[in-house]
Amino acid sequence: MKTLASLLVLAVLALACASEPHITKDMLDGGTLFDPSLYQPEKYLVSKARPNPSPAEAQRPVIVACHGYSATTFEWDEFRMYLGNRADVSLSQVLLGGHGRSYEDFKNSTWRDWQAAILTEYDALTAAGYRNITLLGSSTSGALLLELIASGQFANRPAPRHLLMVDPIVIPSAKTLPLIGVVGPMLGYVDSEQPAAEDKYYYRFRPQETLRELQALLTAVRKELERGVTLPASSDLKVYKSKQDPAADPVSAVLIRRGAKTADGTPVEVQMVDSDLHVFTRLALRETVTDRDRQNQTATFADLVARALR
Amino acid sequence: MKPTRYLLFLLALTTGSAWGQRQLDVGIRLQKAIGLYTENGLTAQYTPEGRPSQRLYFGLSYVTSRLGTALGSNAIRQDNFLLSVGYFFRPRWIVRPVAKLNVGYFAADYGEALFDDLPRTSPLVSPELGLCYCPKFPLKIGAGIGYNLLTGDGTAGPGTLYPVFVQTSVTWNFLSPKKQR
Repeated sequence: MKTLASLLVLAVLALACASEPHITKDMLDGGTLFDPSLYQPEKYLVSKARPNPSPAEAQRPVIVACHGYSATTFEWDEFRMYLGNRADVSLSQVLLGGHGRSYEDFKNSTWRDWQAAILTEYDALTAAGYRNITLLGSSTSGALLLELIASGQFANRPAPRHLLMVDPIVIPSAKTLPLIGVVGPMLGYVDSEQPAAEDKYYYRFRPQETLRELQALLTAVRKELERGVTLPASSDLKVYKSKQDPAADPVSAVLIRRGAKTADGTPVEVQMVDSDLHVFTRLALRETVTDRDRQNQTATFADLVARALR
Repeated sequence: MKPTRYLLFLLALTTGSAWGQRQLDVGIRLQKAIGLYTENGLTAQYTPEGRPSQRLYFGLSYVTSRLGTALGSNAIRQDNFLLSVGYFFRPRWIVRPVAKLNVGYFAADYGEALFDDLPRTSPLVSPELGLCYCPKFPLKIGAGIGYNLLTGDGTAGPGTLYPVFVQTSVTWNFLSPKKQR
């Protein structure tokens, strides 16, 4: 009987102690590939490239583009290519805290670390004198931006002119995410099972600790939206949301529309996009890209720029 | 309260409800989807007469976020209509293990035509396990955990239909002892 009980305890322990992911050096998780913005920040951040803008430059729009959970600056590279060398608008591509480094760095990061990188660039830009800033967030960065507003981070800062969100997540498509607190310690990590080509730009393995952070962030943002989130007086917000999305449930757009208002009480703008991609503006490395996907990307890029220039 | 009455009251609370008698229990159901909304409403369950069928009962429930999280907030208003069949594993016990199967209909109200392309309704199918505190007193208190087999996944199904929920029901048997055989 004692033997049986011991075996049972061992079996439970084995189940409870999750194995480590099989990380290779060809993966972003491996700690040998890093996001290029870490090597050359001046190529990605306006605050590093032009820390002393002329008065005219300081008035030109700067779009601060922030990527989603487990992604890197790669997510907005196509937008940079779309902008080309135009001088009427600049692009900062922020690498979220804990991202683009290694599995261990990611595992040890919190959603506040992810968010801090956005504020660091924003503060650097405003300190340098830039006054026409648009915050652009995809996926989890949408939630991070909403949390910045809801927690009053812009009460004592110059407010962003525009907030733009592509496929922001408030409700995950994987409805088991809220159970991560229970099953996470047994799982250890989740394999994203993404195409191998994406392994260099997106963490393949998602530590349960970061999934718990994601769930905590989404819960906080959802509750803020339920209470009501009011934008700073000079800001507006537009959401671009795929009608089908395997990562950020499209109903996230409903929650933002119901929960967020401009300072004068106007509902925020939402555009439902005929797409089944998550972050439909990123087409690079997709296994299948249709003409409709390309049209959605181009139209949205054009609209993002037009709004930043308003 | 006199000691005799007090003892009778205690006895009623600690003795299982009469077995083999039909019962109509009506009350409130409080439900919480794990990770999302609280949804509250009404529930009724009927236990037919007769010992062979006394383990089985049939119920209907209506729970809505309108009486939960969406009350006075921006949360989505959504309604759940449930028909259920339950089975008491130990019908003579005062605290009875219960297994239940719910089927029904879910509908969410997104409020604007802008979201007309998003799925907002779904059939409901959910097995549920729980316990019922069923004293001789007409009060019943049930609690359980259920699992919605049909949920939203971002490409199909309503996005605010979550899989795991917990529920508590507090009901009162409205069939008086005089009407019972």
